[in-house]
Amino acid sequence: MGLIWKLLRQHISVLQLAGFFVANLMGMLIVLLAMQFYQDLGPVFTSKDSFIHDDYLIASKRISTMGGLTGGETSSFTSGEIEDLGKCSFVNSVAGFVASQYKVACYIGIDNVEQFGTEMFFEAVPDEFVDTDRSEWKWSEGQEEVPIILPRTYLAIYNFGFAQSHSLPKMNEGVVSQIGMTVVLRGHGLEQRMKGRVIGFSSRLNTILVPMEFMHWSNGRFAPDADTCPTRVIMSVANPTDSAITTYMKQHGYEIEEDKLDASRMTYFLKIVSAVIMSVGLLISILSFYILMLSIYLLVQKNTVKLQNLLLLGYTTARVSLPYQLLTVFMNIAVLLIALGILFALRGWYMRMLWAMFPDMQEGKVLPTLILGGVLFGIVSLMNIFAVRNKINNIQH
Amino acid sequence: MPAVFAGNKCLTSDVWRHDIAFDKGRTYLVEAASGTGKSTMCSYIIGYRNDYSGRILFDGEDIRSYGDARWAEIRKRSISLLFQELRLFPELTAWENIAIKNQLTGHKQDAEIRGWFERLGIEDKTDCRLGLMSYGQQQRVAMIRALVQPFDFIVADEPISHLDEDNSCIMADIMHEEAVKQGAGMIVTSIGKHMSNLKYDYIIKL
Repeated sequence: MGLIWKLLRQHISVLQLAGFFVANLMGMLIVLLAMQFYQDLGPVFTSKDSFIHDDYLIASKRISTMGGLTGGETSSFTSGEIEDLGKCSFVNSVAGFVASQYKVACYIGIDNVEQFGTEMFFEAVPDEFVDTDRSEWKWSEGQEEVPIILPRTYLAIYNFGFAQSHSLPKMNEGVVSQIGMTVVLRGHGLEQRMKGRVIGFSSRLNTILVPMEFMHWSNGRFAPDADTCPTRVIMSVANPTDSAITTYMKQHGYEIEEDKLDASRMTYFLKIVSAVIMSVGLLISILSFYILMLSIYLLVQKNTVKLQNLLLLGYTTARVSLPYQLLTVFMNIAVLLIALGILFALRGWYMRMLWAMFPDMQEGKVLPTLILGGVLFGIVSLMNIFAVRNKINNIQH
Repeated sequence: MPAVFAGNKCLTSDVWRHDIAFDKGRTYLVEAASGTGKSTMCSYIIGYRNDYSGRILFDGEDIRSYGDARWAEIRKRSISLLFQELRLFPELTAWENIAIKNQLTGHKQDAEIRGWFERLGIEDKTDCRLGLMSYGQQQRVAMIRALVQPFDFIVADEPISHLDEDNSCIMADIMHEEAVKQGAGMIVTSIGKHMSNLKYDYIIKL
């Protein structure tokens, strides 16, 4: 190897290789950084909102000032209106929210001493609209513990509004799920204490959700005579961006709750930006690949006679190609390692900033980035190896 | 026959347009004026060029069917060619030029190679960069390189064009010793000046 390398390293242009190295490093770094940034930031917008599927929309009736005050105008849906909605071509299935018709109070206790409590309410939607682990999301009569899904904004209100001013500790989602909660149900002359357990938070549902089975049982027990017309409906639609939906909603004076839209817009925006940046990175990588190939081709060209002589001495094409192939592969490895090094340094820096902004943020996965880096390295190296071999094969020998 | 001679009707040759066989253990002298295709013939034998009509067979096998790997093996084990243009590496020292072949074949011990350097009078040049040596000295290095491999035939294309009588005799001796040791055939080309101390079994006019 020593002598062959001594021969074939003649005419290597350090400047060209350095040019390739820097360009490829930039390309690789940009691609990996965009990927990692997307991985890290993506969950901030989409985190754990798996309770309600993207293709579900929530509609309510518009409440006018007068109607709301006088109570003359009902804001609930009649069963006929829900049926009409169900007949629309864009709707796959539809169901009303069922609200609790009795009084609910909730107490959070520490060491079995109830610390604070609040009046509240429950709502339920049919279980097929709730995208969660079915083993957690179920209730049957006689079960003392009620699973609950809370709006994520509640936690924010507590953390940034209440806890701050009352010198109470801030809580994250994991902690809340472990706090014991007592739920007191009152109505129809009855009172019952049950345990509540928060199984998750949703950014899309502005309500306190309990399983439908529990709602039927509790409404039947604590408010047997109440009218349970839903004020909101949830529908599964084929395409949430369908303009027919907007038209229909306008005609009937319904409103779609768009609280999820911001997050999905942000995610979409993040995806687009990441994709654009990654494309730029890839473009730089491809250009740097051309620099390397041109440089190697030039090298092979300048060393043609030497390569030819080696082949005529009985060296195989594979053996003669090896030094240049190793050269490119080693450079690619170095590029990959340095790019990853810089990436993780940068990531440490931006993660600190993100954590300051989103204390609840989960760290994104690193594996996809490593795989992407590995795949890029693999593809570029294979192409290099193949191109060098091909070029040397073309030398007459 | 080389493709370039195709239009030449009055070509007289013992090789082109004839069947000719080279056997192991024999010594052949191919004599010709320049431009009649000596080096071309050598290129065909070593698989470097294939712009000819007709067929070249090694042990009955058409060499046009050989792939890269087969040629590499043949050049390493079966046919040694001492190129007219030497094809040495001027960046390397004389010794390294030999080593680059001997590393590939692992055929000779350093001591034996050193012995040849001494017999050819260039023992003080082993560490000299080849580019700085005279053409005659380079011819001797090229010959040593041709010998550090096993072969069935050694083909020497005008090996002594720049050597004096004494050195060409020594060279012929060494080459002959190696060929005899390996039971190999020798094919030497010449445009007039040929190794006079060799006993040729056949003299062929190209």
